[in-house]
Order: sequence, then structure tokens, then C-alpha cells
Amino acid sequence: MTTGIELKNLRKMYESHGHAAWAVDGVDMTIGAGKFVTLLGPSGCGKTTTLRMIAGLEIPTSGQILRDGMDITDQPVTDRDMRMVFQDFALFPNMTVEENVAFGLRVRRMKGSISESEIRKRVAQFLDLVHLADHGQKKPHQLSGGQKQRVSLARALVTDPKVVLFDEPLGSLDANLRKIMQIELIRLHRELGKTFIYVTHDQDEAMAMSDAIAVMSGGKVAQFGAPREIYDRPVNRYVASFIGHAHIVDAEVDGRESGELTLRLRNGERVALPHQNTTAGVGSPVGLMLRAEDLTFADQAPGAIGGRIADSLYRGEYIEYVVELHGGAGVVHVHSRTDTPLVRHGASVALKVNPAKAHVLVH
Amino acid sequence: MRAFGNPRLVFTMAMSVLAFLYAPILVMMIFSFNDSTYTGLPFNGFTLHWYRELFSDQQMLFSIWNSIYVAIGVVIISATFGVPAAIALDRFEFPGKGVFRRIVMLPIVLPGIITGVALLGFYLTIHFRLSLHTIMLGQGTGLMCVTITEVFARLQQLGRSQTEAAVNLGANEWEVFRHVTLPGIRSALFGAMLIVFSVSFDEIAVTFLLTGRENTLPMTLWSLLRREVTPEVNAVASLVVVMSIILIVCGMYASRRQETSAGES
Repeated sequence: MTTGIELKNLRKMYESHGHAAWAVDGVDMTIGAGKFVTLLGPSGCGKTTTLRMIAGLEIPTSGQILRDGMDITDQPVTDRDMRMVFQDFALFPNMTVEENVAFGLRVRRMKGSISESEIRKRVAQFLDLVHLADHGQKKPHQLSGGQKQRVSLARALVTDPKVVLFDEPLGSLDANLRKIMQIELIRLHRELGKTFIYVTHDQDEAMAMSDAIAVMSGGKVAQFGAPREIYDRPVNRYVASFIGHAHIVDAEVDGRESGELTLRLRNGERVALPHQNTTAGVGSPVGLMLRAEDLTFADQAPGAIGGRIADSLYRGEYIEYVVELHGGAGVVHVHSRTDTPLVRHGASVALKVNPAKAHVLVH
Repeated sequence: MRAFGNPRLVFTMAMSVLAFLYAPILVMMIFSFNDSTYTGLPFNGFTLHWYRELFSDQQMLFSIWNSIYVAIGVVIISATFGVPAAIALDRFEFPGKGVFRRIVMLPIVLPGIITGVALLGFYLTIHFRLSLHTIMLGQGTGLMCVTITEVFARLQQLGRSQTEAAVNLGANEWEVFRHVTLPGIRSALFGAMLIVFSVSFDEIAVTFLLTGRENTLPMTLWSLLRREVTPEVNAVASLVVVMSIILIVCGMYASRRQETSAGES
């Protein structure tokens, strides 16, 4: 059975100065073999602790970690055949790039099973894979941040693990380099077909690279699914506001008819949406998630929301308008193409919601 | 920023402090070359006589060797037990860790004479014959705190991720120590060894109480000085000063070099 990694009610408690707190509080997840899965969340949400438990660097307080159906919860780190890429690279400063990469092949576990010439060949092959073929004799302190992370990557991949773990590997790189490395990582994942488990607090990074994202909060998984699913249909306000730039307007369910849900905003305006997969009954309070790219300016059409331009920001790729809804019903942002005429500050506008993308949040 | 106060006054103060510290040593070194049987003016002329005297003085040479022998033993003891203690303090949580940390630091604060008396009583109780080795044990356990402090500080600075990376790549405890921990702490350990060596070399309080038949250099000098001050004492002291300076420069150079290579990775 090749199910990859399975986490079953995984929990980790930390104690400091007599206070006990759950860093990870019941994580259940199945990570398919060969998938690129990201644990996403703000610092302190338990994502790194979860990753370190998978690696064996932390011992779970309770729960199980399964790999291909086999319980590996108590297996020592050295036997797990999972390699980790660290945020601070964790290169060995006294060794050359080549020696760093060869380390995993030279330690006792692999000794005897692989010849010195084979080690050299593999090291050269993987340095080539991360475009560092000419840097083998350098010491880590002679490399740039991006190069260090490539060495760290080669060092992890050279031992041919089935699972590679990433602990915010791009966190200490600048924005441009981060974009280049993202593309590099996707390429490596595609070429090598290994399971990548990736931890980050950067939602763009998570969206761009992952097959699936687990959004974490307070030691729990708030939502686990494909990037598109999490972006379009977040399960609650936390996920909605963490992913993308969503604005949530308070509303109340006004009517449910077949194929249509009507919401009433706080200013009394009504918005009709095509059938939403929600259980909220008539009269119950909900949140209407409105993303900037799903709102367009409209003529005073029925079903449009009225508001006033409070600010406009020129972003280069688009113009971002801050719109205050009438009657203090909330604030939303609207992205508009730069070749459309600029709407004046203070002008009254009507907004049309893209019915396919509007999403109702019950929690 | 403008210097605080009157720069000339500050300069004069600094110079007087330095003069007060080092002028006597300089004077002592100058008199080791004086062609006179007494340490003092007038300066009768340059001679290496006292150095020749020193190198033909069997008792003196023997005590120098004893001091070196003891200091090497002390360095070995403090490194052998200090490094594992520092690693334990850095890496593991165990009950009583806080107490352990303070206890190993105690010898720094405790007067040497107290440690000496206590150890003497202990050795006599268990019928240990006093010798250079009892001095070694006494100093070694006391000076271990220097090694622990230095190495522990370096380990804290290194952080844990290199160790974790090594373990993650399949290295066992010994391989982690050999390839990651030891290279990381090397310069700190070397520095600590130099400090321990030089402190041990001129230690007198513990040594005085624990010594057997053989004497170390400070003990020999002490007994010589009680009879008379010959320029031979100046000569041996000058040699010790020069050796110490060489050791310190070596130590600084070694740690500087490693810091630049380990610095930013």
C-alpha cells in the first residue's frame, strides 16, 4: 500500500516555566506519495513542530505517524530516510561544498554499500542538478544565500530519500531569489517524483508550488485541500483572510430558494448568489467573502452593492480601489485594469459580484 | 561621537594604569640581564649569565618540567570532562540542570585555599599519597569550569541545526561529534586549554597544600625568594612571561581564523 505519510491525531505539548501548551493539537492528515504538500500558517501555528515530528527530531506527545501504512512514530531519526532542508541551511562550515553533499553518503549508515568513486559520481551529478558544478571546492562561507540553499538541497537529495522535508527553506532569501528558487523546487519535484513536505508562512509560495495545502492555526489544521479549493472555498474566516486578500462583509441569510441564496448586508442591500453549498438557515449571520479581483464596477444594476471610493492605489499591474460600502456595511478592495478611466476619490460606485466566485462563510 | 571628557586626561590615566601593570614586569626582565648578584640598581652591564645559571640549575629545571607536566595533565582532565559536560548542558534537559550549571561554576568563586584544604582532607581520608598527580586532580576538577563555560558558550552560539542536519543525514552520535560538534567548538576549546594551562602553570594555593615531594615552579620560586632574590629568579620569570605571550597570541590567532571561516554560514 503506497499511501505516503499519514498523521493520526498527532499532538505535541511543550512545557516551559510550569506552563504546558499544545504546540500541535490533534493533526490528522494523509500526504500522498510523490505529492508536494505545504503546511501553511503564521509563526506559532505548529507547522514546524509537525514537520519536525515527521522527521523524528521531535517526539510526539501522543498520536501516530505512519509511512506506507507502517508505524514509524518511534523510529529513530537516522532510520527514517527522510531528508530535511533547513531555513538557516545548516551547512557544515568546515567542509567544502562537495564534502557537505557527500556527508550523507559517507556516514556509517551508507558505508560499504556505496564505493568512493560512486560517491564522487553522485555528488557531481547532484551538484550539477542544482547548478553548482563549478563550486564543489568552495567552503560554505564563500557562497551566496541562494547557493547555500542549493547545496543544502543537493545534500538532502543525493541520498535518494523518498521524502524531503523543507523548513521555510526560502525564508532567509530576498524576494527575487525566492521566486527563482520556487521554480527550481517545482522542477526538482517534477523531475525526481519524491514526496515534498514544505513548511512556510508565505501564502504565495504555498499557492504557487503545492499540490495540497494544510492551513494551520493554533496547532490544528483549519483546512486541507488543493490550493484552488482553499482559495475559492475557504472553510472559515481565518482561512479566507490568511489566503489572498479577501475582505469579509457581515451579512444575514435573507432567503433560500432552489439554486439561489439571498444575503442581506448590514445596510439593508441584498445580494443574490447562485446556490451555495452552505447549511446556514434563514436569519443566521454569515460572512460574505469578496476578493478584489472578483468585484467589478457596474452601472446601477439590480443586485449590485453600493459604495464610495475611499482611496485608490496605483499598483502598476492594476489599480486598487478601497471602497467603503454604504451605511458602514464594510470595506472591500477592487482591482481594476489600468487602461480603464480612473474613478475619482469620493465618487459613488456600484459593485457587481462575480457569482461564480462569491463565497459564503458560516464560521 | 566625541570622546568622553578630556582626551589628554583619559590618555594619561590609561597610560598610568598600563605602566603600573607592566612596568614592574619590564623592570624585572631588564634586571635578568644585569651583571650583578643582586636584583637592583646600578645596572652593571649586559650578561646572559643568569640564563646560563638557570639552565644548569637542576632543581629549577626539574620544577619547570613538573609545572609543565601538571599543566598538561590539568588541560587533559578539564577537556575530557568539561567538553561532555558542556554538550550535556547545551543539548539535554535533565532534572537538576540549573543546579548542576551553578555547581560546576563554583570553583571560580571559591578561594583556592578552601578547595585545597578540602581536597587535602579528602585525600588523607582515603589514603591517597600526595604527588604531582594529586595536584593535577585538584586543579583539573577546579579548572574544568573554564572549559565548560567557553565550550558551552560556543555551542549556544552554533545552535542546533547543524547537529540536526547531521543526524537527519544518518550520522550516529560519534560521527556527529567528530564531524560537526568538534570542528565547531575547536577554537573555543583550544582557547580554554590555553587559559587552563597558564592558570595551572602558576597556581599556588591548591598546589601548596596538595604537593608531595616534587615541587612545581611557583613553589620553587617561592622558597628561593624567601632566602634571597637572585637575578636567576628574574630570568625564569622573564621566560615564563615570554612563553605566556606566545601562547596567548597563538590562541587569539587560532580563534580569529576559525571565526572568519565559520562566521556567516
